[in-house]
Amino acid sequence: MKISLTFQKQAYAVFYVVILSLVRGVTYSNEIGIALEAPMAFLAFTFCADTYTQEIAGKRSEIWRLYPMKKRTYAIYRRIVIQEMFLLAAAAASYGLFILFQNPFLNGLGQGSLESEVCQFLVYFAAIAVTLAFWGLLSNLFACLFRNMWVGIGGCMVLWLLTNSSIGDKTLKAWNLFSYTFRELDNSSDFSWVCGKMVCICIGIIAVAVLPKIIEKRG
Amino acid sequence: MGIKIEDLTVTFRNKVTAINHVYLEIPKGIFGLLGENGAGKTTLMRVLTTVLSPTSGTVTLDGMFYSEGNFRKIQRKIGYLPQEIDLYPGLSVQECLEYMGDLAGIPRQAYKQRIDFYLEKTSLSEHRRKKMKQLSGGMKRRVGLIQALLNEPEFLIVDEPTTGLDPEERIRIRNLLVDFSEGRTVLFSTHVVEDLAATCNQLAVMKKGKFLYSGSMKELLEQANGHIWICKAKDEGTARELEKKYHVSSKQYVGDELQMKLISEARPHIECRSCEATLEDAYIYIANKEAP
Repeated sequence: MKISLTFQKQAYAVFYVVILSLVRGVTYSNEIGIALEAPMAFLAFTFCADTYTQEIAGKRSEIWRLYPMKKRTYAIYRRIVIQEMFLLAAAAASYGLFILFQNPFLNGLGQGSLESEVCQFLVYFAAIAVTLAFWGLLSNLFACLFRNMWVGIGGCMVLWLLTNSSIGDKTLKAWNLFSYTFRELDNSSDFSWVCGKMVCICIGIIAVAVLPKIIEKRG
Repeated sequence: MGIKIEDLTVTFRNKVTAINHVYLEIPKGIFGLLGENGAGKTTLMRVLTTVLSPTSGTVTLDGMFYSEGNFRKIQRKIGYLPQEIDLYPGLSVQECLEYMGDLAGIPRQAYKQRIDFYLEKTSLSEHRRKKMKQLSGGMKRRVGLIQALLNEPEFLIVDEPTTGLDPEERIRIRNLLVDFSEGRTVLFSTHVVEDLAATCNQLAVMKKGKFLYSGSMKELLEQANGHIWICKAKDEGTARELEKKYHVSSKQYVGDELQMKLISEARPHIECRSCEATLEDAYIYIANKEAP
């Protein structure tokens, strides 16, 4: 935890979500997810890019090569899980901060009960969990592939800009990586955006599977 | 058995040949690797640690070929201290070593015992709770060496282990390496000649990717003997003339005169006497033998 979740990283993540919940305006509570998904993805890929590349920067990667592959992979995944858990906690907390600071209309679409509000949060939580995991894994994968943290961040940034845009929405529709952000707000029973999250899960699984090979080859 | 290197060449993508068709046998015990910066020492060590694949040639460790299929077995036998290493700054010495011991796949009980033993040996016991970022350069180097020793490697590769250490620390590290080398192979790379003089019997001298010499320390000194001369320069002008003509391995004022140690195949054309070669003299002699 002291390796992957340094004080500086925790501090900038907390600072980021606090500022975000203060400056990004929302009128209804169902807009909170939209306000959070893309910025949290941005935080995830910057946060996780150095998961392994810190070993390269610290000139420890040559020693790592002598360690058993299973141990190396396990150590990297453990770091990712720790970071993702922290980000997920930050995402959940920032949802609360939005309600606290922005005071949006609860049950904005008039569904009328606390349960629907909780349900809305749980859906957000599931969607953001997939988003955070996807972007964290992807940036670490890019960074390991090119042995450079900035390539991880840069590569994800390009993809983020492409998919978090009207062009990305029009082209990919429900299969967009940010399908939750671009979902139909008026129709709460429309869950076609899950397709986009399935794409994230599939790519994430591939990233998990190929990471050991990349670490073995690239060191 | 040790290490056997045959016709090894490493050429990088930018066409620079760092190691050029070299042959070397590294027996058990401490083996010194001496050479100027950029001679190819680190590249050689990166090949020996399986970090770098050679362009051509073969390497064997205890008769086992360096090939993809054998890498895992070879890696288990190796301990490595790179020239530069920044160990986890946010962890304490104890935490850092335990983390690395765990990563190396050493049973918890075993690495804890070894950490205690080596911390004691390197006088770091009292600093075990200090964060890595709070340590001096020499202390960090010692922790780096401990991580290399943790898996009790059969083949230990240490790249400039005494860099940044004060004289007492250097002696302590040298003694630790000597103790550790019993029944094992230790490749000790440095450009600090004194460190090798104090620890090794066998060494190799590298320059521009080739071995200028490999063999015993005694033979190297014998080769240089008869080519080291002590003379006295009466004034600065004479000293400058001598420096232009010969390789000077040392100079110091003795009274009003400047005493200089010259390295020359033939007796210099100045009043001088022959003297016993030190390892430093022998290194300068071998390294510049072909130079005009």
